[in-house]
Amino acid sequence: MRRTIKQRLTWTAIAVLAILIAGVATRLAYLNWTQHEPSFHDTFGREGSRQQRPGGWQAFGGTWQVIDGAMFNIADDRGAKLVNGSARWSNYIVEGDVQLLGEGGDAGFVLRTTEEEVGVDAYHGYFAGLRDLDDTLILGRADYGWHEYQTLPVHSGLKTQKWYHLQFLAYECTLIARANTDNSEVITAVLHDPQCLTHGRFGLQSYSTAAAWRNLEVRPATKSDMEVMLPVSSANLEVRPSSPGLIDPWSEQRVFLPMQRELENYRSDLNALPIADLRLLAPNQPSQVTVHGVVTLVSPTLFVQDSTGGIAIPQAHTGTPVQIGDSVEAHGNVELHDFSSVLRNADVRLLWSHTPVPPVSVTASQAATGAFDAQFIETEGRLISEQRAGDKSVVLKLDEGSQSFIAITAYPSLAETLNGLKNGSRLRLRGICVTDRAYAQNEMPFAVLMRSAEDVQMIEPPPWWNARHIVELIVGLLTLSLGLQLSYTTFKRSQLRAVIEERERLGLEMHDTLAQSFAGVGFQLEALCEEARPGSSMRAQLESTVDLVRAGHLEARRNIAALRPGNLDQMGLAKALELAAQTIIQGGPITISTSVHGEPRPMPLRISDTLFRIGQEAIANAVRHGHPHTIYLRLVYGRPSVKLTVRDDGEGFSWREESPGFGIRGMKRRADSIDATLRVRSSPGHGTSVQVRAILPSALFAAWWQRVRIGSRKRGARGKAA
Amino acid sequence: MESASLNRPGAVRHLSFASKWIAFVVLCCIAGCRKQPPAIAAIPRTCGTLLWEAEHTGIQQVASADGLNIYWNAPMREDDVQGQIEVLAKAIDRGVQGVVISPVEALPLRTPVHRALKHGIPIVVIGTDLGLTPGKNLAYVFNDEERGGEMAAQRIGELLHGEGTVAVMGINNQLTSTAQRARSFETNLTGKFPHIQVVFRSLALPTVSQEQQVAEKLLAKNPRINAIVALSESSTRGAYYALTEFDKTSTIRLVGFDQNLIAPIRTGGIDSVIMQNTHEMGRAAMMLMNEELHLGATRSHVVLQPLLVTQANLDSDIVKEILDLRWFSK
Repeated sequence: MRRTIKQRLTWTAIAVLAILIAGVATRLAYLNWTQHEPSFHDTFGREGSRQQRPGGWQAFGGTWQVIDGAMFNIADDRGAKLVNGSARWSNYIVEGDVQLLGEGGDAGFVLRTTEEEVGVDAYHGYFAGLRDLDDTLILGRADYGWHEYQTLPVHSGLKTQKWYHLQFLAYECTLIARANTDNSEVITAVLHDPQCLTHGRFGLQSYSTAAAWRNLEVRPATKSDMEVMLPVSSANLEVRPSSPGLIDPWSEQRVFLPMQRELENYRSDLNALPIADLRLLAPNQPSQVTVHGVVTLVSPTLFVQDSTGGIAIPQAHTGTPVQIGDSVEAHGNVELHDFSSVLRNADVRLLWSHTPVPPVSVTASQAATGAFDAQFIETEGRLISEQRAGDKSVVLKLDEGSQSFIAITAYPSLAETLNGLKNGSRLRLRGICVTDRAYAQNEMPFAVLMRSAEDVQMIEPPPWWNARHIVELIVGLLTLSLGLQLSYTTFKRSQLRAVIEERERLGLEMHDTLAQSFAGVGFQLEALCEEARPGSSMRAQLESTVDLVRAGHLEARRNIAALRPGNLDQMGLAKALELAAQTIIQGGPITISTSVHGEPRPMPLRISDTLFRIGQEAIANAVRHGHPHTIYLRLVYGRPSVKLTVRDDGEGFSWREESPGFGIRGMKRRADSIDATLRVRSSPGHGTSVQVRAILPSALFAAWWQRVRIGSRKRGARGKAA
Repeated sequence: MESASLNRPGAVRHLSFASKWIAFVVLCCIAGCRKQPPAIAAIPRTCGTLLWEAEHTGIQQVASADGLNIYWNAPMREDDVQGQIEVLAKAIDRGVQGVVISPVEALPLRTPVHRALKHGIPIVVIGTDLGLTPGKNLAYVFNDEERGGEMAAQRIGELLHGEGTVAVMGINNQLTSTAQRARSFETNLTGKFPHIQVVFRSLALPTVSQEQQVAEKLLAKNPRINAIVALSESSTRGAYYALTEFDKTSTIRLVGFDQNLIAPIRTGGIDSVIMQNTHEMGRAAMMLMNEELHLGATRSHVVLQPLLVTQANLDSDIVKEILDLRWFSK
């Protein structure tokens, strides 16, 4: 039997394991099937986008927005990345249009990237892009550090605000970048990397400039694709297959020439005022002022700040579009507001690119003073609610200490990112602090104008101890405790059942062996007795021996009867006790009187069996020692208890509670096992009464339990029959 | 008993079979889920600049020789203290064996570095004294800022022939290194060239454009100044831009610090730059790290000499070595 169980357990474990492995294998096969094939097309909001899972775009630095069918990084971080696709993609081509929005940087595609992080060149992968710093197409590899393999000049020069078509292919260990520029000039850079990176995602990257991408497509690359991109006969085609070489990306020329280019266009107004000093101007007189500062927000209003404060510049006139992080000079009419100034009718001129300012970390209470109005801040709060207007605008309401405030974004890409936020989450927000009532909705002291998805960071999920979770926990614990109780009860019941079955087996064994032997010995002795001479001492001894054997036989039958109570469940406790009593008295002169009061109720087997054993012991004691005429069996069903009384009119005895006999101690122990109370009353000449009272489970539970038991029994019976 | 003894081999056989399955699954998990962590995290103030990529080269050279992996990352901006703290935390989470760090600022980095030390992670700090006492797991690599200040004073004295006026830009008290430069410069200037007066001082500002504005105001108010000493890369660049804008590069001599702007030395736009040998600092840091990893630090610090780069030595081997950015060359 034990061996069978072990075998079953082992095979069950193996089967479960096999199912798990099959499930994992199926999942992997599915992922392999769905992700291994590079396929992606994104028109950024225009018709025909076919974004192929998994997980969408993932930003590492930068300020990314989808505007008019193009993906923009409006900040000029060094090495901002936006990555998509599968890390399992191998041979594929990325194609699209790229536009440099500022000077002095580069932008293009990354390919076969893995382990991306925020940071300059913080990934493993390849990059191909256009660099206006020195008007080149560059191709290289990043391994948490940049290694530039190819730097090919664009003879017609690179211009900002202009679209260039760029293709970047990876096939086995060959990387090819091709740029189509003005005048049908085609530049192709080729790299054979013997120790190439074989798999990875694709993405967009810009370095030290804002940039835009559109009409993005990724598709599998074949050898023929590679051969098509390799140079053939075009006169303008320039190809330099390269192995990892020693090109110095920091040549003096590379640094010096663009610097000179920038200087040619630069001369700032030396009379520019610190932004905080604008507050000192006469409030009632129009003043034309010039300020210098760094752009902190472009839309819906241009915000600029210097080391002394921030200023809003609505409807600014900008010759060259400015981006977050640009240093600008603004000249216009100053208008003093409560906590900051506004520059009206301002002309804004780009001074320098990529000089972003870090946010000032403030508490909500500090921001609520207005001291940081129009400045780029970082603050924290707990999300209370979220409102959306269409698909674009999202307003978050937050609490922090005694202050409430709102955070606003008007960018669809950010709205998408905010989908996963749950009320109660603790958020760290970056944005422009504004006290303007139009933003703060006349209810809050200030609002935070966010710029991109990276301006929201969840630093703590909602607290677990909310009302819903507590209710769920209580229900779970109750279910668990109920399950444990049921398991325990089932276990105890099966234990009891096993004991009863063992008793029955012993009873049968005794019936078939001991009782039969007694009967055989008695029969033989009676035969000998018949043959012995009447009146002889031998006959007297034989007759005495026959009596002893008969008494022994009778005792054996009583014990067998005690071991085999019959089916308590089927006949009920009262009937079972009456039958037991009849068996014990063996047709003697004792009368058995049975009475049942109250409505009989189902009771657990452990209780009914214990009551039966106590009653049986009490009847046996009465027959053995009391020599009664009548034994009264009384069963009273009450709420919530059942009470059994076995009373006789026999001789009785001097009952001393402090020194009960062996039989009574046994009854007491049995009563204790079911938390029942046992009471024994007796006195010489007045018979004996044994009363046991047990608490029953609730009627509802008992009825359910009875159904369970009956169902179980029927299933068992069907099993046996089968 | 007999029955039990008959059962046992079968049971053992089944258990063994099950054990094999469990061992197989566990091994698969171990093999599939774990990846070897990088050995050493190297965290400069930022990446991708002349100053710090040279350090990358130095670190990588020693790491390659010793068979160590390097996790090289830093904030995108050189003034992003919080970003650097986050990079440090991430590196520690990745289970690095040691950290080489060039703090953006001293005070904010003190606690994160101290916590890393309490976790038993060996650390080498480059460039700035954090105020933490060197020990078994902590050592410093310094640029000799006193010497740098002295070099600047000597150069200014020679350029002005011991007489004239000078402005000092980019004084940063949040970085002990830059504060030391300023002190050393003025001390040496006063001692050796008493007829040269410091007529203008400005504190460091976070961006080049802000430094440039300061320089513009300086030039507007003091057009007859003879020289400018810029104590940081940003102030050097800002001063150079302002001088170019005012067409004063030939009349007002600029002595800068740190090597992000070398090219104008050749044209005379900048007279000279006092370079940190970050390449050698990276190498020294990795050697100290090796000591910490294997023996416990035997030296509390290493001090490396800066180099005055002028037109005369711009193409020298030592300058080329300091500007060697080929970190990928094994």
